[in-house]
Amino acid sequence: MHEFHIHYRNTQGTLMRILTAVSRRGLEIPYVLANSSGHGHRADLLLEVNAKQIGQLCRDWHAIVDVTDVRMSVPTPDMLEAAAGFAGPHPPASAGANGKSANAAMA
Amino acid sequence: MLRGAEIFLQCLRAEGVDLVFGYPGGAIMPLYDALEGSGIRHILTRHEQGAVFAAEGHARATGKVGVAIATSGPGATNLVTGIADAKMDSVPLVCITGQVRSALIGTDAFQETDVFGLTLSLTKWSRLVRSIEEIPTAISEAFHWAREGRPGPVVIDIPTDFLKAKMEFAGPVKFTPKPRPSDVQAEATFGDTLISLLEKAKRPVALIGAGAKLSGAIPELRQLLDELNIPTFATVHGLGAVVPSSPYYLGMVGMHGTRAANMALHENDLLLVFGARLDDRVTGDPTRFAPNAKIIHFEIDPAQLDRVRSCELPVIGDLAQTIPAFYKKIQGAKLPDWTEWRAVACGPDRAELDPRGLSQLTVRFLDELFSRLPENSVVIADVGQHQMWAAQRYRSASPRGFITSGGLGSMGFALPAAVGVQLSKPDSIVLCVSGDGGFQMNIQELATVRRLNLPIKLVIVDNKYLGMVRQWQQLFYQRNYAETDLSDNPDFVEIAKAYRINAERLNEDSMQEYPVTEETGDALERFLKSSEPELLVFDCAPEANVYPMVPAGAALSEMLFDDE
Repeated sequence: MHEFHIHYRNTQGTLMRILTAVSRRGLEIPYVLANSSGHGHRADLLLEVNAKQIGQLCRDWHAIVDVTDVRMSVPTPDMLEAAAGFAGPHPPASAGANGKSANAAMA
Repeated sequence: MLRGAEIFLQCLRAEGVDLVFGYPGGAIMPLYDALEGSGIRHILTRHEQGAVFAAEGHARATGKVGVAIATSGPGATNLVTGIADAKMDSVPLVCITGQVRSALIGTDAFQETDVFGLTLSLTKWSRLVRSIEEIPTAISEAFHWAREGRPGPVVIDIPTDFLKAKMEFAGPVKFTPKPRPSDVQAEATFGDTLISLLEKAKRPVALIGAGAKLSGAIPELRQLLDELNIPTFATVHGLGAVVPSSPYYLGMVGMHGTRAANMALHENDLLLVFGARLDDRVTGDPTRFAPNAKIIHFEIDPAQLDRVRSCELPVIGDLAQTIPAFYKKIQGAKLPDWTEWRAVACGPDRAELDPRGLSQLTVRFLDELFSRLPENSVVIADVGQHQMWAAQRYRSASPRGFITSGGLGSMGFALPAAVGVQLSKPDSIVLCVSGDGGFQMNIQELATVRRLNLPIKLVIVDNKYLGMVRQWQQLFYQRNYAETDLSDNPDFVEIAKAYRINAERLNEDSMQEYPVTEETGDALERFLKSSEPELLVFDCAPEANVYPMVPAGAALSEMLFDDE
């Protein structure tokens, strides 16, 4: 797992562009936190990526108009814990009256 | 007090816009209502995709920003292919879409689509305008990002009520981007490493991509290449950057590149890349791409570096600056003698431009047309076999002389793009080469050609197949021609006549004699010199193939030829 910190100006669509750079590669995002940081905003992402993807992602993020900085670091225990929860089982779905789950009915 | 639509158009004029392409509809009507007297010429196409491709044609032919306008919902979604096309090929493009009234956004109102959301990953920048006051800054910023760095598409989505609203207008504004603390700075010393790599190289080559042309530094590039005198080749979008008659020039590289170019790219030990992103059509199997090469990559967009292969020396910046810096650096440097390598790479065994192709009468037909074109002509190719034949055979020294949809490969591109090109280059011959499949994807733009009386020379290479797909089916799917048969094509000559466009048909027999008969030659001359739009349908052998060909997943050295 690698942790990425993308600093950006919180203009229309910038956070979504940051995330679609990941999703277009079919990567899962087990942890993401976006918040204000100093004078701008920061998105923290935890991703399972190889060295080539790291380079590509960092360059793609940097190419986004309102991204101001991209950094990497070692994931904190809190993030890893949150990410581990991502891979765990979902809460059991409620059973509906006809035997199908409520989630299935909604779908 | 001015209406939002009037402010919008004044801001477009302030950005130098005098020509736009579009298709009206409900949400964008206020903008159309204000067009008259705005100083902006609007070209009505017959489909929004026609509008965006025409805007691309205008941008590609001139270097200016192309502008396409559509209404909300389906109007906007019809622009999407063109937006993706502009993104892939680095075309500066501003798309303006009407949106439902601001109060209705998010309610699934009639003709409401989340244009902002659906174009996020296809655009450099986009804005859903949230008030009439935002219009001037949105337009200024849009044009800035469309032009800046690696050019590309942007979208302005504007709710119809802001176009109708009124406000005091102080005049257009100029957007100034905020500096980014982490912007990559070119290393002032790049030349030392560069010289060191050159000194060690035994088999250097140069690859020229679209970025070299977009930088505008063609004279500087040619001067540098003359000085280096190393085997040089171009991507499909780099064609025209190098003077084709240069003794070191080997033509197009890649899947349908020349044997000489592909072999040199495979064998080199130092690859100088000027503004190319090394996509799969250029590299073949990336794990076997230029296996012995060190790479020096001149590129304006850092996101393009290291995508396929790591480079030893990235030189990030506008080639208009980095190429002259390179040239200056090698003045006085003692570079190795590469005569022997040049003799191999550019030698008689390799340097000919695919003579095997001449056995194909369609290729000969294109040669006959191209040889009759003056230098300032523009050839626009659609997507497919004819595109590759045209790229192989049209040898123009004009950087904007060959236009095609290279990255996205959008069938249906050529005809509407030719509209934009001919409007931008009224004194040039604009030759639009399409296949029978792609031509039918935007055939409705014949009405635009006729309405404007544009003297575009339209060619359909008609093999009654989706030819390139059929070629792959023949070579890699055991001739299972699944759903590529177009033998029930309409009569294109009669269709053209219905649009009141002159049309003729030539068959392959007309190309049997070499040189062609006086009668055929005269017919081609008449076609090209007509002051009217003309269509020429060339009946092509159904199973004609494009060679050389590097099969998908093969190395560049593993080309297939006609006799294999």
